[in-house]
Amino acid sequence: MDIVFTAATVSYAGRVALHPLSLTLSERRIGVVGLNGSGKTTMARLINGLVKPSGGAVTVDGLDTVKDEEAARGKTGFIFQNPQHQMILPILAEDIAFGLKNRGLDKAEIAARTAAILERFGISHLARRRVHELSGGETQLGAIASVLVTGPKLLILDEPTNQLDLRNRALIARTIAGLPEQVLVISHDLPLLDGFDRVLVFHEGRLAADAPPAQAIRAYREIAAC
Amino acid sequence: MLNGLDIEGRTLLHRLPVRGKLVLLFTAAILLFLTSDLRILGPALAAAAVLFLSTGIGLREAFRRVRFVLFTVALVAAANYVFVSPREAAAVLCRLSALVLLAAAVTATTGIPAFMDEVARLLAPFERLGLVRAADVSLAVGLVIRFVPEILARYGEISAAHKARGLPVRPLTLLTPLVILTLKDADTIAMAIDARGFRRH
Repeated sequence: MDIVFTAATVSYAGRVALHPLSLTLSERRIGVVGLNGSGKTTMARLINGLVKPSGGAVTVDGLDTVKDEEAARGKTGFIFQNPQHQMILPILAEDIAFGLKNRGLDKAEIAARTAAILERFGISHLARRRVHELSGGETQLGAIASVLVTGPKLLILDEPTNQLDLRNRALIARTIAGLPEQVLVISHDLPLLDGFDRVLVFHEGRLAADAPPAQAIRAYREIAAC
Repeated sequence: MLNGLDIEGRTLLHRLPVRGKLVLLFTAAILLFLTSDLRILGPALAAAAVLFLSTGIGLREAFRRVRFVLFTVALVAAANYVFVSPREAAAVLCRLSALVLLAAAVTATTGIPAFMDEVARLLAPFERLGLVRAADVSLAVGLVIRFVPEILARYGEISAAHKARGLPVRPLTLLTPLVILTLKDADTIAMAIDARGFRRH
């Protein structure tokens, strides 16, 4: 799926968060790195219309994120830095089912799809657990399941290994690597981006580098060292 | 009383539709307020307690859930004891405690999605009049219930942070950071709701 930025820019109260950005993303694994406040999250939120461009345009699979907001949003799933905030219902299976129910599916199909996605991520045993009691890794897996159950083509993850211990970090890294969907990951966890097709480096609201992982991360280290 | 803590089970109360349970609860509330006769209110309290325990919740968990509300009821009863009469205090204690236990029994046997569905159905006529968006109200109800444990956990964290810094732990001083952080979280949650396509614009 192609994500196309055409001179897309974002400003908040006169401050430019993202300078005009033009690029096309079509790779299966895309990484985004940069210092805090460099524009990474703003860029990612433009993709599913959570942030509207102040100028220019963004299209997802040919759909404009402003004019065709809902359809474009249906193409993308978003995992926030704190996935607890996106689990809306108290029980994991209920939360997953809620996404399907909002799309008007019947009960039998909702139950089948919920069971299938839990099985896919090996978390069937967590189905009846309360989401606020899940561990960091379990929460992250649950959030990914609840988003992917609705069938988006692209999954955006904002710092998915943030605050995870080594075991859970490895679990999430394996999970991301195994996803058949197109994936865009914002991360400070640079080894997570090993094997990615393309890595974008943002600095002060501008795209500073756009290259395969090794080259892009070298550029990022140079920026961070300044 | 709903806090996402429904107990799985197959009791009669579990099998009753949500609307039926709410109608029964509403009727019970009216009946309990129509009398001050302790010969009726006493057994009503006992029956409510039996009903609550029959959900399979267990004595310890049952007490944990209702203790704060029952404490408040006890305070109200104490005020009645001082300002009205011991008999009225006993009636208030039995009446309100029975109501709390009945509501807790409904909570323990009703899942949040079912409750949200019922709220949406009940508000559907108002939606047709253009007064509300039923799905939004039911989502709001679900959110309140879902995030109560989060807010309590945050309160605990702020309280611990105050202790760690040697600051006095006073509810009022904790309230300001709690409200600010909760509102900040609310922004993210609102964004997540949009991201997951739960609201149609």
